[in-house]
Amino acid sequence: MQDEKSIEELCTSTWEPLYRFIYYKVQNRQEAEDITQETYMKALTYIQKNNIKIDKHIGFLKTVSLNVLRDKWRKSKRHGKIVDIEAINPEEAAVEDSAEVSAQHDAVQTALNSLKEEYRTVVELRILQGYSVAETAKIMNKQEGAVRVLQYRALQKLAAVLRNRD
Amino acid sequence: MSNNENKLSDYIDSLNAEKKPKEHGQEDISPELEELMKTVRQVKSLKEPAMPDSGFGRRVAQAAAKNKKSRKSWFVGFAAVAAAVMIFALSFTIAGRNNIVYAMEQAFQEVKAYHGYIEIIQTNAAGDEAVQGKREVWADKSGSYYVKEVEGTQEGLVTINNGQSKWQIQPDSKEVHVFSAFPDPYRFTFELGEEVEDVKNAVETKKIGEEQVAGREAVVLEVSPQGGEKYKLWIDKETKLPLKKQSAMQNALQYTITYTHIDFESAIPAELIAYKLPEGFKEVNTNKEQLVNNLEEAKSVAGYSVKAPAEIPEGYLLDSIAVELDAKIVKFYYTDTDKQNTVVVLQGKAAGEFKPSTKAVLGKINDSIAELQSPIAADSEILSGGGLYAGVTDISSIRWQEGGFEYAVVGNTAMDDLGLFVKEIAGAEIELPSQADMPAAKPQVEVPVDLEIEKNEQKSVDAGHSPWKLDPVFVAQVFASLKLSPEGITGDYPIAYESLEVEQNTGVEAIIKVNDDKSPISKIYLKKLIRQDNTGIWTVVGYDNAQ
Repeated sequence: MQDEKSIEELCTSTWEPLYRFIYYKVQNRQEAEDITQETYMKALTYIQKNNIKIDKHIGFLKTVSLNVLRDKWRKSKRHGKIVDIEAINPEEAAVEDSAEVSAQHDAVQTALNSLKEEYRTVVELRILQGYSVAETAKIMNKQEGAVRVLQYRALQKLAAVLRNRD
Repeated sequence: MSNNENKLSDYIDSLNAEKKPKEHGQEDISPELEELMKTVRQVKSLKEPAMPDSGFGRRVAQAAAKNKKSRKSWFVGFAAVAAAVMIFALSFTIAGRNNIVYAMEQAFQEVKAYHGYIEIIQTNAAGDEAVQGKREVWADKSGSYYVKEVEGTQEGLVTINNGQSKWQIQPDSKEVHVFSAFPDPYRFTFELGEEVEDVKNAVETKKIGEEQVAGREAVVLEVSPQGGEKYKLWIDKETKLPLKKQSAMQNALQYTITYTHIDFESAIPAELIAYKLPEGFKEVNTNKEQLVNNLEEAKSVAGYSVKAPAEIPEGYLLDSIAVELDAKIVKFYYTDTDKQNTVVVLQGKAAGEFKPSTKAVLGKINDSIAELQSPIAADSEILSGGGLYAGVTDISSIRWQEGGFEYAVVGNTAMDDLGLFVKEIAGAEIELPSQADMPAAKPQVEVPVDLEIEKNEQKSVDAGHSPWKLDPVFVAQVFASLKLSPEGITGDYPIAYESLEVEQNTGVEAIIKVNDDKSPISKIYLKKLIRQDNTGIWTVVGYDNAQ
């Protein structure tokens, strides 16, 4: 990490997996972009200050990004403690999470399939298809208020299914 | 309905809009709602993430690299402050363009015409300044201008383009040179429209301070253009338009260009842009085009039947028809309704086999090869016969042959618009190459690429070195020649340039066929790895062995 070029190289080769990792957590582009940016700032500061060489950049960056996220969401008590950057062994920082993600996907999909049709429909229309409450109301032939109540109950049920799985 | 139901619904709306929900970072959320929000995120994670725009990776990289540089001197001990400043600076660059740039775009849209005095100062490495020139300029939105050199080596020279013709009054020789109005490769330095356009297209703009220029308050921007060195631009706080520009020190020279005075007007005074031969001056007409009134006249001058576009695409009007007298090329000039863009349709007798420029993207019109250039990098055949187009950065072209004639549609407008004209002449849509058309077959041998080296090569080409790297055929020729003479090439290349043939070129990927019996390879596969526009270099990524 000696010069601008290698920093650019690092960012160019890692931003996409890092962004996807963060997006997975926050599920919106605005926040994912912000946290990606900030992660590089923090990580580069650390790398340069300590003049260290990191082989598994992406693992290290993901760990830093989790810190940034926790910092921002200020929920360290509930979500676990902040990882001390100084204490991370970059070589060992977690890299593999695709298996976890895929297991999570399966669980959510199974839980979704277990819902009664009306619940599943409202969740699919609102979250997966991205329709507004008004559009969903029209499609489902319901009042907008009813859609809000329905989606709340559907998500309550879904959360319960997922909770029991854990 | 409970408050939580509304909150959860708003939360879903936020995520659907790809915006940060206000609950992210909020402390006082009930555990129940929090769990439901987490469930929403889990469901949404089944979808592919919404990715940032294509420039995001580059912006992150540049911002990060820049930070490192600027931090050096004051980082230690001020990490927290530094981080805050960095994040601030970043938020400026992330959008790629900031509010000042937007305000400038808006302000320029309001401008009809302007009149100003420009001073150009040259500074050498020792810091010595010299006034290189002063000029008076008038310019309007339709592209007409009047530029008079007030001071400097070309004092007294006046250059005028009124959209119909272009001429230059040269007081030293007492001559008036007349040129065709389009294409006009001349752009006076610091023309506001060009300047605004450059900033809009810049990779990055950053506010770096505030200063006074010619007694006016101005914001100083640092602009990183697409290719080329960074420069500084001073924007008038009141008019929101550029006042001053300073290039980077290049080859030990730096230029500072300032509007010492500028007024915004409704139009250029008619008398300034009306053609009149001053007394005692001789007219030198370099324009060999003869205007004709209709197709019949065009036919009698050109000596062949002229094909006109079946219909004029919407938004355009026929401006004039002319015949280039030497080459017998018929030209239809069209302008769009607000006279900002010109399209020329050219027709001439085909002078032989169609040879597209090696740098061009290849498409098809009625099953014939069509050459697409944006901008025109090489003008061959009808393009060279019809005026000097190459090197004029905003002009694109489509050229093809059909039925013994060669046609070209040329214009300072979008390729799509040129395509509309093609359709009206050829009676068929132009088939544009796409990545999907590239054969699925991979090269027999893949050539490993070192992206680091390619990046440096790109920088070197950006700086004007090895321009041949922009030509896929030349790159293929060097590659094939080195395969034949791995120890190095002395004298001529063992594989001749002419023996290479562009089989496909999508502008991003190309396949070049080697028609040479002694060549050990038959096909060379190239890609633009670093930048995918016409300034991007070609790199060999694979080849097929000769049978």
